[in-house]
Amino acid sequence: MNSSLNTLWALMRREVWESPFAFKWTPLGIGVLVVLFAVLMLVIGARLDAEMAFTLDAVRLFGDMPHEQKRLMVSGFLFAASNFFLQLMILIILFYLAGSLFDDRKDRSILFWKSLPVSDRMTVFSKLLTACVLVPALFLGAIALTHLALLVIGSIYALMAGINPLQDLWLPASLPKLWTVMALGLLVQALWLLPIYAWLMFCSSWAPRLPILIAVAIPAGVSIAQHSYSLISGFRLPDYNIGLIMLRRLGSGVLPGNANIDFSGGVENIEFNESLYMSFPAVFSHLLKPEMWVGWLIAAVLLAAAIMFRRRATDQ
Amino acid sequence: MSSIITARNLSRQYGRVRALDGIDLEIPSGRIVGLIGPNGAGKTTALKAILGLSSYRGELSVLGMDPASQRDQLMRQVCFIADVAVLPRWARVHQIIELTERLHPKFSRQRCQRYLKATSIRPKARIKTLSKGMVVQLHLALVMSIEARLLVLDEPTLGLDILFRKRFYSNLLNEYFDEDRTILITTHQVEEVEHILTDLIFIKDGRLVLNSNMDEVYERYVELMVRPDQVEAARSLQPLHERVLFGRHIFLFDRRESTRLEALGEIHRPSIADLFVALMGDGENEDSAREAAA
Repeated sequence: MNSSLNTLWALMRREVWESPFAFKWTPLGIGVLVVLFAVLMLVIGARLDAEMAFTLDAVRLFGDMPHEQKRLMVSGFLFAASNFFLQLMILIILFYLAGSLFDDRKDRSILFWKSLPVSDRMTVFSKLLTACVLVPALFLGAIALTHLALLVIGSIYALMAGINPLQDLWLPASLPKLWTVMALGLLVQALWLLPIYAWLMFCSSWAPRLPILIAVAIPAGVSIAQHSYSLISGFRLPDYNIGLIMLRRLGSGVLPGNANIDFSGGVENIEFNESLYMSFPAVFSHLLKPEMWVGWLIAAVLLAAAIMFRRRATDQ
Repeated sequence: MSSIITARNLSRQYGRVRALDGIDLEIPSGRIVGLIGPNGAGKTTALKAILGLSSYRGELSVLGMDPASQRDQLMRQVCFIADVAVLPRWARVHQIIELTERLHPKFSRQRCQRYLKATSIRPKARIKTLSKGMVVQLHLALVMSIEARLLVLDEPTLGLDILFRKRFYSNLLNEYFDEDRTILITTHQVEEVEHILTDLIFIKDGRLVLNSNMDEVYERYVELMVRPDQVEAARSLQPLHERVLFGRHIFLFDRRESTRLEALGEIHRPSIADLFVALMGDGENEDSAREAAA
C-alpha cells in the first residue's frame, strides 16, 4: 500500500516535471500580473491624487465601516482576484488531459514508461489525480501568494492612512476560511467535471493524432446530427443533446464549486453576500445532486476503457 | 537451470501478414541469445510479445508469468531497450535517474552514476539537447543498473561509435552477465555480438530458421576454402552457399548433409554473417552468385 502511494506520488511529480510551464510558471505568472496591475492602478491613482488626500480619506472611510461590510469587501475582492487563475486552470487541465495518454505514444517514450514496473491502471490514475488534485493545489498556492501580496500592499496604504491593517484588512480577509472553502470547492469542481476529464483521457488513450480535436469533434458531430434530425421531425428539437449537455456541464463547472450562483431566479435576484462564494454548505450541496453521481458513473466507464486502450498501446 | 522464456506456437497477425507464424522457443537461464533476422522478419513482434507490449496467440510464459496481463510485475525482473532512443525528451538526466530509482525497486543509483561518469553526459542536461548516441548511453546506463533476470536489447548500439560499442559489450559480459541472468539481443551488427553469444536464433518471415547453441552451430556448419581443382567436386556436395573471395571459392556446408569435406580444402569456422547470408539470403542472389562464380 505504502509503496503504491510512493509510486503514485513519483508519477504525479513526473507530470509536473513534464509541464513546469503550464503547472508552475503560469499560475505564478498570473499572480505577478495581478499584483502588477494593482500596483499600476495605485500609481495612476497617486498621480491623479497629488497629495494622496482623497485616497487616504477613502481608506479611512473604509476603516470606519462595520466589520461585516469590511469582510464582504476584502474577501470578495480576493475571491474575485483568484478567478483569473481558476479559469485559465480549467483550460490548462483540459489540454493536459487530452495529451496525457497521447504524447508519449507520439514521441515513443511510452516504450520507456512501459519498461518500468508500473501498471497501466496506476499510470492513468496518476494523470487523473494530477488534474483533479495536484494542479488545483499548485494554482491555489499561487492564489494564496497573490492574496498575501495584495494584502501587504493594502497594509502599506492602511498604515499611511493611520488605520490598523491587522484589524481592518487581515482579519476581515478571513484567509483561512477563504482558502479552505476554495480548496474544497476546487475538489468538488474536479468531481463535477470528472466525466469531462474522463472523456478527454479516453480520447487521448486511442486517438491516432490530434486527441483534443477528436474529443471535441465527436460530441460536436453527434450534436449536429441530433440537431439536423429536427429538420425531418417537424422541427422539434430532441430533448437531450449530447453536445449541449457536455457544454452545460463544463460551463457550470468553470466557476469553482464554491461560487453558488443560481441564475434560474434571474440575474436581478442575485444578492451579493458571503454565501455566494464562501460557504461550506454551498460547496457540499453540489455533492448531493444526482447529476453529480451520474457523472461519476460515466467517468468510471470511460476510465476503464482508457485503461484498456493504454494496456494495448505501444509506439505505433 | 529453469527456463526464462517458453513459447509454444506463438503467433501474431497484422491484417493478412503473419508477423509470427507459430514459433516454439525455450530459453534457459544464464544464456546470451542473439535473435537475428532481416528487416520485417518478426524480431520486434516477438520481443514485443515477450515484453507484454502487444497481444499474441499461442502460449507464452516469461519467468513464469503471462506478459500480456502481468506486464507490471514482469518488469520488476525484466529490462528492455527498444530499437531507438525513447527516453522522454522533456526530462533532465537527473530527473530520469530519480524517477527510475523511485519506480524501480531493483535500480542502483550508484551503479548508474558510475556508468555515466565514463560519458560526457551531465546530470542537469535535458534529454532533448543530448545527441542520439548520448541518449543511448544514458539508457544503457539506466538499464545496466537494474538487477534484472532478463535483459532484452533491441538494436542496443545503434548510433554509437566503435569505442563505446566495444566498451558496452565488454561491460555487459564482464560486469552484468552471470548464470542467473539471460540476455536477448537483436542486432544487424552481427560481427559485434558473435563472440559473446551462447545461443543463436535466426528468424525469417515469422518462422525460426535456426535455433541452437553456438557450439552446435560451429559443429554443424563449416566453411570450406576449396582448392581450385576441387571446385566442381565441392559443388556436387550440395553446399548451402558459395562465394568467391580473391579468386578462391568459399563454400558453406551443413555437415549433416555433406561429409568428407576435409579432402577438398581448408576448413574454417563460418562467421555468423556468412551463415546468415547462406541460410536467409533469398534464392535469387544465391543463383546469381553461383552464375557469377561459374
